[in-house]
Amino acid sequence: MSAELTLPGVPLRAQGITAGYGGDPVIRGITVHAMPGEVVSLVGPNGSGKSTLLKSLVGIVQISSGTVLVGDREVTNQPPEEIARAAVGYVPQVDDVFAPLSVKENLEMGGYLLHRKQVAERVDRVLAVFPQLAPMLGRAAGKLSGGERKMLAMGRVLMLSPGVFLLDEPTANLAPMVATALLETHVRQLATSGASVLIVEQRARAVLAISARTYVLGGGEVRMEGTPAELSARPDFVDSFLGGGRDRAVTPE
Amino acid sequence: MTIFLSSLGFGLVTASVLAIASVGFTLQFGVTDVLNLAYGAIMIAGAFVAYLVNQAGLSVWIGLLVAVVVCSLGSVLLNSGVYTPFQRRGTSAITMVIVSLGMTLIIEFGVQALAGGTAVSYTMSQGATLQAGGLTLTVVQIVVIALSVLVMASVHVLLRYSKLGKAMRATAANKTLARNCGIRTGRVITITWALTGALCGLAGVVFAIDAGSFDATATDLFLVLILAAVFLGGPGQAYGAMLGAVIIGLATEISAAYITADYKYVIAFVALLVMLGVRPTGLLGART
Amino acid sequence: MNTFYLINLLIYAAVDATACLGLSQQFGVGGVTNFGFIIFQAAGGYAAAVLAMPHDSANGGFQSYIGGWNLPFPVPWIGAAVVGGVIALPFTFLVGRRLRGDFAAVGLLVTAVLLNLLVTNFRPLFNGDAGLSLIPAPLQGEFNPQSASYQWGFTAVALFLCVLVYLLLQRITQSPYGRSLRAMRDNDVVADSLGKNLLSLRTAMLVLGGAIAGLSGGILVSYISTWSPAAWGYAETVVLFAAVIIGGAGNHRGAVLGAILVPVGFEEVTRFIPTSNNLPPNLIPSLQWVAIGLLIVVFLWLRPQGILPERKRVIGGAAQVGQPDTGWRRLARAGVARPEAGAADSGAGLRDDRFPADRPAPLARAEPEGGSSDRSAALGGAGQGSVGDGERREGDGVPPAAASRGDGEASAVVLEGVGVVREFGGVRAVNGVSFQVRRGTLTGLIGPNGAGKSTLLAMLAGTLPVTSGKIVYRGQDITGVPAFRRARLGLVRTFQLASEFKRLTVMENLLTAVPGHRGDSFRGAILGKRYWQADEGAAITRAEAVLARFGLERLANEYAGDLSGGQRRLVEIMRALMAEPSMLLLDEPMAGVHPNLARQIGNELVALCHEGMTILMVEHELAIMDEFCDPVVVMAEGAVLAEGTMQQLRARTEVVEAYLVG
Repeated sequence: MSAELTLPGVPLRAQGITAGYGGDPVIRGITVHAMPGEVVSLVGPNGSGKSTLLKSLVGIVQISSGTVLVGDREVTNQPPEEIARAAVGYVPQVDDVFAPLSVKENLEMGGYLLHRKQVAERVDRVLAVFPQLAPMLGRAAGKLSGGERKMLAMGRVLMLSPGVFLLDEPTANLAPMVATALLETHVRQLATSGASVLIVEQRARAVLAISARTYVLGGGEVRMEGTPAELSARPDFVDSFLGGGRDRAVTPE
Repeated sequence: MTIFLSSLGFGLVTASVLAIASVGFTLQFGVTDVLNLAYGAIMIAGAFVAYLVNQAGLSVWIGLLVAVVVCSLGSVLLNSGVYTPFQRRGTSAITMVIVSLGMTLIIEFGVQALAGGTAVSYTMSQGATLQAGGLTLTVVQIVVIALSVLVMASVHVLLRYSKLGKAMRATAANKTLARNCGIRTGRVITITWALTGALCGLAGVVFAIDAGSFDATATDLFLVLILAAVFLGGPGQAYGAMLGAVIIGLATEISAAYITADYKYVIAFVALLVMLGVRPTGLLGART
Repeated sequence: MNTFYLINLLIYAAVDATACLGLSQQFGVGGVTNFGFIIFQAAGGYAAAVLAMPHDSANGGFQSYIGGWNLPFPVPWIGAAVVGGVIALPFTFLVGRRLRGDFAAVGLLVTAVLLNLLVTNFRPLFNGDAGLSLIPAPLQGEFNPQSASYQWGFTAVALFLCVLVYLLLQRITQSPYGRSLRAMRDNDVVADSLGKNLLSLRTAMLVLGGAIAGLSGGILVSYISTWSPAAWGYAETVVLFAAVIIGGAGNHRGAVLGAILVPVGFEEVTRFIPTSNNLPPNLIPSLQWVAIGLLIVVFLWLRPQGILPERKRVIGGAAQVGQPDTGWRRLARAGVARPEAGAADSGAGLRDDRFPADRPAPLARAEPEGGSSDRSAALGGAGQGSVGDGERREGDGVPPAAASRGDGEASAVVLEGVGVVREFGGVRAVNGVSFQVRRGTLTGLIGPNGAGKSTLLAMLAGTLPVTSGKIVYRGQDITGVPAFRRARLGLVRTFQLASEFKRLTVMENLLTAVPGHRGDSFRGAILGKRYWQADEGAAITRAEAVLARFGLERLANEYAGDLSGGQRRLVEIMRALMAEPSMLLLDEPMAGVHPNLARQIGNELVALCHEGMTILMVEHELAIMDEFCDPVVVMAEGAVLAEGTMQQLRARTEVVEAYLVG
């Protein structure tokens, strides 16, 4: 049963992002954008900077040059708590829930910026989207299974009714069937509900199936972009995963 | 049996003082990841503030209120002015211990410099002695126990039911994620230190009341009891600290009655070392 | 000035300096943070006391203590040092890595307080709270301890011992053994992977520091004739740490300076402050403590390295060490510099396994000129001459004795994994991997994120334990062998993240890896420069050659921590080569390196393999695999998926899928 979920989608525009962890930059001159209602994926080999890009968009990693716009609002290098106030939701790859807090409390924290009266209503809405969480409201988040944790992590972000949804490898460490379900059902639903969704994924095939557009990253830069159909048709698409990159990937130290 | 009961009485009072102190200490660690070894020094500073008020002619209970405010402010300053800058620089955990020991010296002996080295006491009445179920306690002792229960209940309500309390727990569990939720963790941390600093001041005064006479070094050994209670329950776990305080408080006093009083701290020390060696996450902490 | 005042000052200076030297060695050089340090001094003091005192029934029997053997000088002082060292042994458990640093520190502090409490309350031990008094001064039967000449004599002896300790510690710290200690301090996991026996090093530092502290306690006790628990509370440990931090940890002169400034300085300064009855009692001593606390915090903030920081050790060319480098002289030195089997720490007896007959010398160790190389000389790590010209020599000659060692086939299996499993927290990172790596190959290990590559490499190197399965290296089951021993067997790894020894220079980083160095043991350090100088010279020459090959000679005397990411990566590789490996396990060596340099590294690695070295390399950049590696093993989800050349693998759909499916 799909819930009536509407999210106030806002366009996300990242222009010429160069960022790193203090030494050499990990990503250079990256430009990506995601419009409301579409799933945009970021794929590429390890070390290509995908995670770093997301972290720089939410204020965890310092951007040395470039701008990030959420709608009309510039959020470059703002602290994460302010970016959350710009209705940007972020699901990290690891440490994605508050492990000692209960499922319900996790959701409440997701709704930290809401008025008290709104919280209960939003929790209900999240439970409608993720009914598997309903019987587990009192359980500590650290005790959930991998798939349940990811749903909780996404549900936490949903509490805010974000206009932009950033997901960092949500299917990592999930069994293939669970992963496919997560992508095809829940991630797709976020976009159809109106949000701009930017998702980093290792499972290139699976995420291309739900994407409107895809960027292929390599060595800290954008190597290719286009619709999944366009990219799959290119002979060098597969190569880019299996060693087409000319520049070195620079890993954070 | 009377030995047991009277030591039980002492144990309850010690456990009460220890509980207030330990909860404050453990919450500071939980939210900042720093073992604030200057906690004992701030406690005794609070005790002396109340003493000054008391000497000025006011009741020690008013002095307690003043001490609570002073220690609250002082703790916030300690974290914002000393611990946080060092942490921001990437200072190692061991060096943070040395920093907190340095602050202990400054605060504790600053108090001693101002107050002199002799032991002092509050001018207060202990109140009538009451008996219930074989236990003999003075009114003041009962007040201390009641205060402790009140504090535990308040902390429980704060952490479980209030938005701030949950934000504190979230910040302690995963600071970055908390920020992603829009929680202004800097503010939450400051408030946490203000509240725990208040607990520290409160603990200091009731410690001094319970001890009778005290000087600036009186909390040196008590800090070890706090550490034992905190590590027994699990560093960062408020309920663990409460549990640890009860166990350590009762164990030290009851053992003191049956073995010589000189060794009563030994149990706490050994418990602490055993916990560090065997299960550093504590009885209530998650297994690493 | 009052004579006795000066004597008092000097003796306290000597005692405090001695104790601080012990702490500086332990903490500043060895990186062993021991907040229970005062216990060693206390133990030494008590030992000296009960050795020197008559039986406790003497003197009216008002003291109660163990011992009382009335032994003459210098036995009490020797006993003090011995007891201090022995007491330190149990601390090896508390100081290991398993516990968080600050938790361990608290545990040690608490231990110190606990022991103080026990001694205070258990009177039969050392007379409890009142402590011991009427401790006999040395030789008090023959001389008058109150006379000025006796006291000057005492002062001279105390100062002399302090100087002796200083010289001894200098000798140890300046030696290659001292370098290994500093490496352990900077990054113990990496030191372990380069063959350093951490347990042995830490124990040595604890015992040495303990003995020195014990000696200082013995001297002090003999001077002041009393010793009570009040003299060694936790505050005294804090003072010693403050002294070492302020003076400069890791620099022995800094330790002495710190001792003079802090414990001694404070005591003396207060004499010059006018006293007044208007001041509250205890004001001056209290302010002393406040000042110490302030100094600790201020110094840690503004100048954590102390007033006299550790000095950079600049190492020049081999020409500066011993004689000029001419062919026959080199050979001669090679002959002289043969290390004995036991030169390095225990376990070095395995060293001979590292140079099988059919494997020529690794990179930058050319055979000595004149083809009839004495294999044993080359084995001695004394191979001289630079290979800066890029010329590589083939292995030269087979020593008669070793000819029959193992098989000489080029395709022999060097490393084998049999059903290797790594399970932790319910997750199987590596799920039953079996593989073989053949001699002389540059084998690539690739796979998508989470495939288990780095975990497998860590298990092969010994950094992570195996949950089940077997690892066989050159026919020997090494599954249970600790990492440092594997390094000594010739199985050396590098690390993915920055792992240089930051406070050592690049040259020192390289030199720490040299195996079988005569100076890299406690005994070697004590025996002094002449004993290990030749080995050092040889090692320096090798290191210079390696640096030249990678074009980094000018960085030789820079701190490794100051280099750029790519440069640090190169230091890691060079250091691994200095360890004379037979097999290298490289964890993403190209990450963060400029493409041209990566290509050069790749070429070097291939060249090494042609010389007989075996390399297993985890990498993400598959273009490198293409160019340099054969075979390439693909892992996915904890298991081996396929093996072949990159071209072959690219053509296999399941490999492509693994990457695309993720």
